[in-house]
Amino acid sequence: MFRIINNLKNLSLDISPVVTDTFNVISVRWRRNPRKPIWKGTAKSKIFRVPPRPNIPEEERLEITRLYNKYRTEVKSINNYLTSKYNVENQQEDDKDLKQKQFEADLAACMKLNDEWNAKQKILREARTAAELQDLIKLAQEKKLITLEKRSQRLKEAEEIVKEQKELSKHFILPEMLDAEIEKSLANPVDHNFALDKEGNRIIGRETRPPLDKKVEKIRQ
Amino acid sequence: MLIPASGTGQYLANSVKAIRFAARGCTNRPFYHIVVTEVKRDQVDPVIEQVGTYDPIPNEYNEKLCSLNFERIKHWIGNGARVSNPVRELLGLAGFYPIHPRTYMTSWRNRKKLEDEINSQEAEQENDK
Repeated sequence: MFRIINNLKNLSLDISPVVTDTFNVISVRWRRNPRKPIWKGTAKSKIFRVPPRPNIPEEERLEITRLYNKYRTEVKSINNYLTSKYNVENQQEDDKDLKQKQFEADLAACMKLNDEWNAKQKILREARTAAELQDLIKLAQEKKLITLEKRSQRLKEAEEIVKEQKELSKHFILPEMLDAEIEKSLANPVDHNFALDKEGNRIIGRETRPPLDKKVEKIRQ
Repeated sequence: MLIPASGTGQYLANSVKAIRFAARGCTNRPFYHIVVTEVKRDQVDPVIEQVGTYDPIPNEYNEKLCSLNFERIKHWIGNGARVSNPVRELLGLAGFYPIHPRTYMTSWRNRKKLEDEINSQEAEQENDK
């Protein structure tokens, strides 16, 4: 929340654009002012406390003063130098025409280089595409051969099937043969029933009795 | 969305800037970013720019690592940013500024303390004899 408030604080005055991202909220780990409120005053136990004065020898004090004086002078001179060199106000204004000319010259040089590269690349590219085309044609021809072979194979398989079916069709019952076939099957009834005796013999026929000389199969040895 | 270390802080053109530490560690692990911010801003606020880091805990080779972006520091000092004392000490040790007086003070006080300790130990030894 603090962050949003902070962002809003500079809304009207700022240079950089204000981010209106409502999700830009980070949980802050510490409170802004982690001290007690000002109206609490001095704690009772600390009212009569007198902090000890720093005990600095005169010699040391003089030395510190000297060092600080020297330090301040040197830092000031460094800062002045940096100001003269880096301050925005001290920077020379750019000559726009010159800059434009430099830019154009640079651009022309770049374009020239680019054109050279493009010309080189064109030769390489054309050679490459031609080779690729040849490869593709070769590939297509191979594929065509494979397809033709497959097709002939399939045709052969189909013919085989037809042949087989033709063989089988000799046993088919055709409409004109139907009556005869019915007559035939009625005349020769087939009994599919069978029984098993204790030895595991299969006795074929519904009405069959064991001693009769009917067909007896031994199924268990 | 986290705020990137390079800084997203918003600032006024003519406000007072400072180069100072911003504590970015956690409990029992101090770590500092060296940042450019407006003086009035809190250290948890987004900064204008981060110009370095400082790790006050010595690593396995007994080094306290510190990184500084001198180009940007020069730029910001040149444009009127103030530098806080701890950062001045670091810049002094880095050779950018002259050595800070506080560095000298700390060192001679430490030296004095050490000498006193040694002297007292010797005196004790003599007394034991």
